[in-house]
Amino acid sequence: MTDSKPLTGGGLLFNVVEQHGVNHVFGYPGGAIMPIYDALYDSNVQHFLCRHEQGAAFSAVGYARASGKIGVCMATSGPGATNLITGLADALADSIPLIAITGQVPTAAMGSDAFQETDIFGLSLACTKHSFQVNHVDELEKVLHQAFEIALEGRQGPVLVDIPKDVQMAAVEQNFKSAAPLKNKVKLPLADISKALDLLTNAKQPILYVGGGVGMANAIEEVRAFARETGIPSVSTLKGLGALDATDENYLGMLGMHGTRAANLAVHDCDLLIAVGARFDDRVTGKLDQFAPDAKVIHFDIDTAEINKRREADAPILGDLKENLPLLTMSLNITEWQANIQKMKADCAWRYDHPGDSIFAPAVLKEVSDLMPKNTCVTTDVGQHQMWAAQHMVFDEPSNFLTSGSMGTMGFGLPAAIGAQISRPHDTVITVSGDGSIMMNIQELATIKRYQIPVKVLLIDNAKLGMVRQWQDLFFEGRLSETDLADNPDFCMLARSFDIKAKQITQKSEVTDAINEMLDHDGPYFLQVKIDAKDNVWPLVPPNSANNEMMESA
Amino acid sequence: MNNYTLIIMTDDKQVVLERILQVTRYRGFLIDGITASVNNTNNIATIELLVSSDRPITLLIDQINKLVDIKSVKVDNNATQLSNA
Ligand SMILES: Cc1ncc(C[n+]2csc(CCOP(=O)(O)OP(=O)(O)O)c2C)c(N)n1
Ligand SMILES: [Mg+2]
Repeated sequence: MTDSKPLTGGGLLFNVVEQHGVNHVFGYPGGAIMPIYDALYDSNVQHFLCRHEQGAAFSAVGYARASGKIGVCMATSGPGATNLITGLADALADSIPLIAITGQVPTAAMGSDAFQETDIFGLSLACTKHSFQVNHVDELEKVLHQAFEIALEGRQGPVLVDIPKDVQMAAVEQNFKSAAPLKNKVKLPLADISKALDLLTNAKQPILYVGGGVGMANAIEEVRAFARETGIPSVSTLKGLGALDATDENYLGMLGMHGTRAANLAVHDCDLLIAVGARFDDRVTGKLDQFAPDAKVIHFDIDTAEINKRREADAPILGDLKENLPLLTMSLNITEWQANIQKMKADCAWRYDHPGDSIFAPAVLKEVSDLMPKNTCVTTDVGQHQMWAAQHMVFDEPSNFLTSGSMGTMGFGLPAAIGAQISRPHDTVITVSGDGSIMMNIQELATIKRYQIPVKVLLIDNAKLGMVRQWQDLFFEGRLSETDLADNPDFCMLARSFDIKAKQITQKSEVTDAINEMLDHDGPYFLQVKIDAKDNVWPLVPPNSANNEMMESA
Repeated sequence: MNNYTLIIMTDDKQVVLERILQVTRYRGFLIDGITASVNNTNNIATIELLVSSDRPITLLIDQINKLVDIKSVKVDNNATQLSNA
């Protein structure tokens, strides 16, 4: 920055962003955020122009989830700001640290229904962890630091900072310096370690139930040590995948609606459930009063409000997993239970034999998982392909499997993969998408083209909104209302128009070569895999059923 | 339906009341009454919130407590007993 140009609110923003170790931001300009984009012109922070603000928000989410840093996205007032909202809601629901900067009309015009004025501050209340509106440039530095701290503190989440145009342009009085750290409310941990130890030593059939909190607490080592030393059989939520060692003989995979039969049966039979960074989500529990009906519960969490929210905890352990898990790590004698578990696991192993020549998506995803390099980051969209990826791919870390868990937001996969690839330029990034979902943020192929981002798109194409179609077939008498996508565009031609190498396969015999070609290709690649529109995701716990009442076929 | 009176101490920020009302509605509590006042010497606002719900009050207390500007949330047992009587 030249000395002659005084520091403005906009310039200050990028100084603070850099100070927090973030060098990349995602956004889209417009009238009310022009002073910030003007300051960007002189900044060291690299900006990625996405082609829709929702794409910018999800790229920032992918960036954060793949790297553990904070994701930053920016948009102008009005429609730019409202386009961020789905990304904010997704980040809130999945506890992702995100900063959203929105331009606002000048303070003098606020409240007058000015051009592109929307009350994004009001709109943010239900979809952020916290939000700020900065009415004077003197507050800006402190607010920005607070925003970063709040996003990361305790249970992480998105924070929105709405900055009126005149505040962005105003000269910053004092020289840039770091603000005093925010004093967070000190809450005493509500740890009931002795009760938990008692439950643990008396349990005959304990299960470890691991969620997304483990990765976010950086407690993967601790949870693996706990599983290894206690020998307690374990299950994972969708967001917990990667936290546990998938090669452990006592690991049963995902539980819940599309969980493995072994995981659901084991949880149903357990006498002690140790929930770690998990929150008894309805997709996990099925019918709540029949979830682990005979189990006592030890619940580890960072968020007081999750304790006793959906399931009473006999021993709540509130606080940092890294500190608390080792307190319960000990060896146990549960060999009989382990033997039962291992038998159940063997009985319920996945099968990949599938009649005919048409491609079987679970087998494709298993093969991709086997062939992809170590530390590959996989993102998904939402639907059948997402559940197949969760079931049939194996991950070393939760930061290698990014999926919209709580919100289940179609359109997540492609922009999240872009953000992930930018945060980890040396790792392979694959997005497993569906033919419905990909169209929700298809414009981001232009972002891939512009920055030559080498993301691999693996499109599982059933020419259907497959997951909805499956439910219509199973629970709505086969009345296929608005789920046919036979008139999809020519996806390969579409990808090629963005200079992305593309290939379509339709037969089992083509699968291995196509996967290798995709993985070996240096730049972006689009692999369209046509599958049978009738394939379903199994097992399935039907609505309002207990998890031991899984369906295995129609 | 159970009735409760909550005493909420918060930083005096314009938006705090809006946040508390949003959380209260979303978490399934009806608002039966509200009074709010600000102590101008320390800029702490005190909000008395009368709510009713079939859900346990701890659910709402925990969620209001998570709001960044909140200092404390307590159930006023005296008032609650009165309104139950
Ligand atoms: C934004 C959004 N709108 C609607 C839905 C509801 N929904 C869930 S799965 C699904 C079908 C997804 O189709 P596709 O991406 O082709 O995946 P498939 O199930 O066919 O693998 C729909 C419409 C959603 N999850 N997100
Ligand atoms: Mg589909």
